Amino acid sequence: MLSRLKKKSEVTPPAVPAWHPDFRNFDRLPDIKVVRTAFFTNGAAVVVALVALYVFGYREYQLHDLERQIGDWQRQIDRDRSASTVAVGQFKKFQAEAAQIAEVEAFVKSRPVFSDILLRLAETLPASVALDGLDFRDNGFNLRGTVRGTPDLAAGYAAIYVQQLKTDTILLERFAEITLAGLTPNAQTGRLQLEIKMRLKAAEKP
Amino acid sequence: MSNEQLLVLIKKNPLSVACGLLVLVLGVVTYFRWDLVPEAAKLLEAKGAEGERLNANVNNAAQLPEHLASITEARTEIEKRFVQRSELAKNLQYFYRLESETGIKLLTLQQNPPPSTKPGAKSPLGGIGFTVSFQGPYFTAMDYLRRLEGGLHFSRTTSAGIAVVAGNRSGPVTVSLSLELFGQP
Repeated sequence: MLSRLKKKSEVTPPAVPAWHPDFRNFDRLPDIKVVRTAFFTNGAAVVVALVALYVFGYREYQLHDLERQIGDWQRQIDRDRSASTVAVGQFKKFQAEAAQIAEVEAFVKSRPVFSDILLRLAETLPASVALDGLDFRDNGFNLRGTVRGTPDLAAGYAAIYVQQLKTDTILLERFAEITLAGLTPNAQTGRLQLEIKMRLKAAEKP
Repeated sequence: MSNEQLLVLIKKNPLSVACGLLVLVLGVVTYFRWDLVPEAAKLLEAKGAEGERLNANVNNAAQLPEHLASITEARTEIEKRFVQRSELAKNLQYFYRLESETGIKLLTLQQNPPPSTKPGAKSPLGGIGFTVSFQGPYFTAMDYLRRLEGGLHFSRTTSAGIAVVAGNRSGPVTVSLSLELFGQP
C-alpha cells in the first residue's frame, strides 16, 4: 500500500543545502500530493486538443454548409439557365421591336400637329377678330388677322385676344411665349391688322 | 534528448503526446484548408447572385412570349405604313388619292431630294420630305390636311401656312405644307 502511494521520480530532495543533516529517505517517504502534475498536463493537453478539434470541426462544418448551399444554387442555376437564355433572347427582340415603335412615335410627336393648332385657334376666335392667315415655321406660329371696329376699340380687342391666347390651357402646353408682334392699320380698309407670334416650347423645335 | 529518453517520455505521458500529435495534425490540416471557407463564401455569393438573376429572368418573362408576339404584330402593322423613297409614283399617288377623295385642288406636289446623310446615323429609317400646296374651301382643305396628318402614313409637318385667297375670307383657302412621311429614305 505504501509503495503505491510513492512516486519516486516526483519526490526530490530540496535544492538548497540544509543547515543540518537531512536524514530523510525521499524514496521511502509516501507521496502526499493530492492531485498529480500529470493530471494538469494531461488535462491541458486534452483541452487544447478539444479546442483544436472544435475549431477544425466548426470550419469543416462551415465549409460543408457552404458547399451544400453552392450545390443548391448550382442546381437552381442549371434548372433556370436555358429558360433564362430564351427569356433574355426574347427580351432583346422585344426591345428591338419597341425601339422601332418608339422611333415612329418620337417622329410623329416631334412636331405639333398643324391642324390641331389651327382648329384650336378657330374654336377660340372671338367675334371681333378674323383670321387672315397662319404660318408655322421652325420655332413657332405666326398668326395674321384683322380686328373689327375703330382703331381705339380694335386695339383693346387685340389686347384681349392676346391675353385670351396666353391663358388658353391647350395652347399653354405647346407654346412658351405668345406676343403681339404688330398692330398696323390697313390703308384700304382702315381696320387694324394684327400679327401674333407664338413661340413653341424648346422640345417642339426640330 | 536521446531517443530512449524521448521514448520514455512518450510512454510516461501517452495522453499528452497523443493530444499534442492530434493538435499538430489538425493545425496542419486547418492551415492548408484555411482559405477554403472564404473562397467558398465568395463562390456562394456569386452563385447566389447568378441564381437570383436567372430566376428573376424566368419569373419576369412569364408573359413575355405573348407580349413579344403582340409587339411583333404591331410592328409589322406599323411597317406596312412606312413609305419608300424609291417608290415615287406610289408616294405621290397617296396625295392624289386623297385629293380625289376630298375634292381639293393640288397646286404643287413634289417629293424632296434626300438630305445629305449624316455620318454615324443610327437608324435606316427617317422622314421623307414632301412639299405640297393645295386650294379649296376651308372645311375641305381641313379635311385634306387632317387626312394627311393622321392618315395611312406617319407624318409630321415641318412648316406650313394657310391663307385666304385674294383677301376673301368666305372663299377658298390656300395651304402650303412641308411635311415628312416616315419610312426608308
